[in-house]
Amino acid sequence: MTGSLLLQSLVLGVLLGGLYALLAAGLTLYFGVMRVVMLAHSAFLILAAYLAWFFNVQTGLDPLLSLLVTVPLFFAVGVLMQRLLISRLRPATLTMMSVLLTFAIALVIEGALGLVFSGTHRRIQLPYSGADIRFFGASVPVVKLIAFGLAAVSLASLYVLLKKTRFGQALRATIQHRDAAQLVGINTGRIAGYGFGLGLATAAIGGTALALDSTIYPSLHWHWIGPLMAIIVVGGLGSVPGAAIAAMVLGLGQSLLQLPLGTTWAQTVFYVALFATLLLHPQGFFGGRLAQRF
Amino acid sequence: MTSASLALTGCLSSGAGGNDDSIQIGISLPLTGDFSEPGKGVRRGYEAWADYVNSRGGLLGRKVELTILDDQSNADRVAADYEKLINQDGADLVFGPFSTRLVIPAAQVAKDYGFLFVEPAGAAGEVFNQGFDNLFYAAPAVAEDHYNHLAAAILAMPAGQRPKTAAYAAMDDPFAQGTAYGLKGKLEAGGIRTVVDEVYPPNTTDFGSIAAKIADSRADLVVGGTQYQDAVNLILALRQLGYQPAMAAFSTAPTNPEFAKAIGEQTEGILSPTGYTPDANFPSNKEFVEHYTWMFNSPPNEDEANAWTTGQVVAAAVQAVGCADPAPDCQRRLIDWLHHNEVDTVVGKLSWDATGKPRGAHLIQQYVGGRIRIVLPAETKEADLVHPKPAW
Repeated sequence: MTGSLLLQSLVLGVLLGGLYALLAAGLTLYFGVMRVVMLAHSAFLILAAYLAWFFNVQTGLDPLLSLLVTVPLFFAVGVLMQRLLISRLRPATLTMMSVLLTFAIALVIEGALGLVFSGTHRRIQLPYSGADIRFFGASVPVVKLIAFGLAAVSLASLYVLLKKTRFGQALRATIQHRDAAQLVGINTGRIAGYGFGLGLATAAIGGTALALDSTIYPSLHWHWIGPLMAIIVVGGLGSVPGAAIAAMVLGLGQSLLQLPLGTTWAQTVFYVALFATLLLHPQGFFGGRLAQRF
Repeated sequence: MTSASLALTGCLSSGAGGNDDSIQIGISLPLTGDFSEPGKGVRRGYEAWADYVNSRGGLLGRKVELTILDDQSNADRVAADYEKLINQDGADLVFGPFSTRLVIPAAQVAKDYGFLFVEPAGAAGEVFNQGFDNLFYAAPAVAEDHYNHLAAAILAMPAGQRPKTAAYAAMDDPFAQGTAYGLKGKLEAGGIRTVVDEVYPPNTTDFGSIAAKIADSRADLVVGGTQYQDAVNLILALRQLGYQPAMAAFSTAPTNPEFAKAIGEQTEGILSPTGYTPDANFPSNKEFVEHYTWMFNSPPNEDEANAWTTGQVVAAAVQAVGCADPAPDCQRRLIDWLHHNEVDTVVGKLSWDATGKPRGAHLIQQYVGGRIRIVLPAETKEADLVHPKPAW
């Protein structure tokens, strides 16, 4: 193994970790706010990816511009989904029933994508899709750098939103103790709706970032949901910074382990980490104290 | 199993099939699920063939009628479908499904009932080591032989031009891996050193690390044992790392019409084995392309061609032997005839060894001047092989 290959894998691992962090952020938020296991998150990622592709094909403009439409759209869909569907589930069985409900939603999205766009594999053709920037002898692919940039900006905004705004405080209060939040006058139902919308808005950004450098097809979301679930468990359910750190560690781990072990074994890093977390530290390694209560 | 099949054969001879005017052909296809795209292509090919045959008076003067079931890409279901087609629906003949994973269980059912089983999609080696004596693959070559013409061309190059090192990346799939390893074996025997040998699972979403290994090896030749999306993702990941091989060959993806749309203008020089081209000048191909285009408003691809070829192969046997019914005697004569004869098809002349493996190799195509051209073998080439390939 040469030094340049190690550096190259390190660079790719960091970029991959950033993308994973963005894709997982919404998932941990849903669980944090509402104890909802949102199996349809990756289906929404693929839906956003298709919308970015469709926007590019129709207008010829850069797919990133589709975010102007998809982010508010997904936010609204998230709020509606929480208010109309999720909030009707009985609290006692919420976590389990949300698995069934969101599984069904994932199937509906997959089926609709297949119906509208067919099963044909699609890819956005960008003038810069093969371009790279040299960095100490390693190549930094431009599209992966853009995806990383999107992840960094989105996660930083999310962090500021949660920490510095009144809505963020209300959301965090709802996450930490719903009853207490209600007692101090927070409309936790509405806040939960917004929290869900926020999660789906990250899916719009994540899906668009994914579409820049991936071939997409309707059933692709099944390949993503496993690793993303592993990331949020390792990171600590409900913790956005935890999910981000776990995503970075696992993305880097996957990229570097691939050198000695090959692709098949490197991919198992997610599941090994998931088992280790559940066995040794069930509340997650990098975040929330939430899971202790469950 | 023997007593069961005897009992069932007893049912068959007194059953519904064979006595009416039309020839009933039973087929199960993956019309939904993982293989639904190629499955639908195969269905179009079968339907076009049946329509063509019927427009010319049918087979043995009898109309052909297709009964097509959906197995949902599920191996358990495909076996049950063929049981039903043969046992309840009274099929006179059966045609194979799509994908190695469905062909093997389907062929087993056909074998239990003594049926001839010609199939359009079992390119992986394992189809032919199951001991099927009733199976015939209706295409020019199995996966391991897809790159044979390319291997011969590379080994015939003068030492100065010949690639010295090769990098292989293959999906963990019998077909995809089979294509790459067929070439690998031949090139290694010819002294071309393997510097990267990566196998990745079908659900791989990130190709950056595999590309990094290949780029770091600076191999002269990169070979992808690929399906569609992995080839596209891998090619772009290689380009992003600034890797420029002298020769690049990928299976499956470059034959797909979406390929150029996905990759852009950097397809130039990319090689791929292909079992079919609408431009091929085999005798029946022109009628096939015309009839198919008339029915579906677009020229046929490889899946459609392999389905049509399946029809041609079975029809040739039926006409030579003069029977098309489920009786074991008729099916045995059809099987024996195919073991000892050659059939002219839209993919060329086909003949088979005892295991049903076709004795041939695939054509090698290359993107030359933005168009797909056949470059190997010399006798069917439309353009000269471009080597080294232009930068991508």
